[in-house]
Amino acid sequence: MIISGFTKTYDGRCVLDFPRMEISDGSICSVVGTNGSGKTTMAKILAGIEKPDSGIRPVELNAGYMPQRSFAFRMSVLKNIMLNGDDSERAKLLYEKMGLTALLNKNAKNLSGGETARMALCRLLMKDYDLLILDEPTAAMDIEATTESETLIKEYRDKTGCTVFIVSHSLQQAKRISDEVLFLHEGRPAERCRTEGLNAPKTEEFRRFLEFYGV
Amino acid sequence: MHTALEKAIELIASGDAELLNILNVTAIMTLSSSVIALLIGVPLGVFLGASQFPGRKALIVINRTLMGMPPVVCGLIFYILFSGVGPFRATHLLFTVRIMIIAQVVLITPIVAGTMESYVEGIRFSVRETAKGLGISRIKSFFLLCNECVYQVFSSYLLGFSRSIAEVGCVAMVGGAISWKTNVMTTAIMEYTNKGSFSIGIALGIILLSIALLINILLSIIQRRASR
Repeated sequence: MIISGFTKTYDGRCVLDFPRMEISDGSICSVVGTNGSGKTTMAKILAGIEKPDSGIRPVELNAGYMPQRSFAFRMSVLKNIMLNGDDSERAKLLYEKMGLTALLNKNAKNLSGGETARMALCRLLMKDYDLLILDEPTAAMDIEATTESETLIKEYRDKTGCTVFIVSHSLQQAKRISDEVLFLHEGRPAERCRTEGLNAPKTEEFRRFLEFYGV
Repeated sequence: MHTALEKAIELIASGDAELLNILNVTAIMTLSSSVIALLIGVPLGVFLGASQFPGRKALIVINRTLMGMPPVVCGLIFYILFSGVGPFRATHLLFTVRIMIIAQVVLITPIVAGTMESYVEGIRFSVRETAKGLGISRIKSFFLLCNECVYQVFSSYLLGFSRSIAEVGCVAMVGGAISWKTNVMTTAIMEYTNKGSFSIGIALGIILLSIALLINILLSIIQRRASR
């Protein structure tokens, strides 16, 4: 998969300068970096939510996107999930795995943050995408739900062969789930490596970042 | 005071003809104006809150200004426009219930539109982002946005209704508070108090407060249902 280079400027300040990049089809790439490094902006541009300065979407693929703050529509949990597809068998498989069975008839507005994120992930995985972009999908989840989500994402990738970008603050999660890691620093990809290569950072910024996270 | 209250209760209980007439005029004016304001204000509010176009912010500022327009100023404008020297004098609408409804629509519509606009503004980005992230069509996304607003529509309506029923300055100016014709609860309270006849004023006050209480109960039920 080829991502064409793009930039994004807010109020005259360049927040993202992303070069042309090739990503192996079907790989899971964790995007890490400090706050304000451009991770969410990158995710939104790839998903087509925001336009880059050039106005051309860098990846012309059927993309699914889960925002940082999951939104629950004013309807039952089941209806929220079925919004994105009518395959009830698939929905059952997803909500059972994510432990939402007991909440199906509840108004989704009344779910907790973690439950909303679980529901949002189920809802997204109801459809087959070529590219999946998840912005901190497990940030609000407990350990059990996080593990289930990671398994679900991997299974989804194996089944559909899609490429996955996961914006994450957890390097442990990046190690568990991804094939490669992309480190953003001050709006630029400062380093990119295979997950196994996390022990041998090439740049000083990435080394300090890893050190801070105790990797 | 005690006798006036007793007499007021007696008036309500006996269904006094003048009292009923005042209630009837009030009901016609309030219901008509609030429904018309709802029909105009809701689409306008959703449009202002959900769309992006040049001049949108200016329109929002204008609407917010109109939300706080003093009713007597609105009454004055309508009085000038429809009086014997105004451009619309030929319509002969001054001192009729119809002009009271029109003036009330002008007063309430910005309130309905404004509350809808700020609600939609607060959720539109999340709805759009989520819907677009799922690959949902724009039309379906719009319907999802409307579905999110259902309870807000009720709240906005009740807000408009309570403003309309409690309004006095504007309706007094354009309606003239004519007995058996354009006298509504608020203007009647003023009129009878000025005459020193407190009983009918108290009776109307009781009814007005009861309606306000009912509206607040309805609002809290709606808010509770919305959060369920």
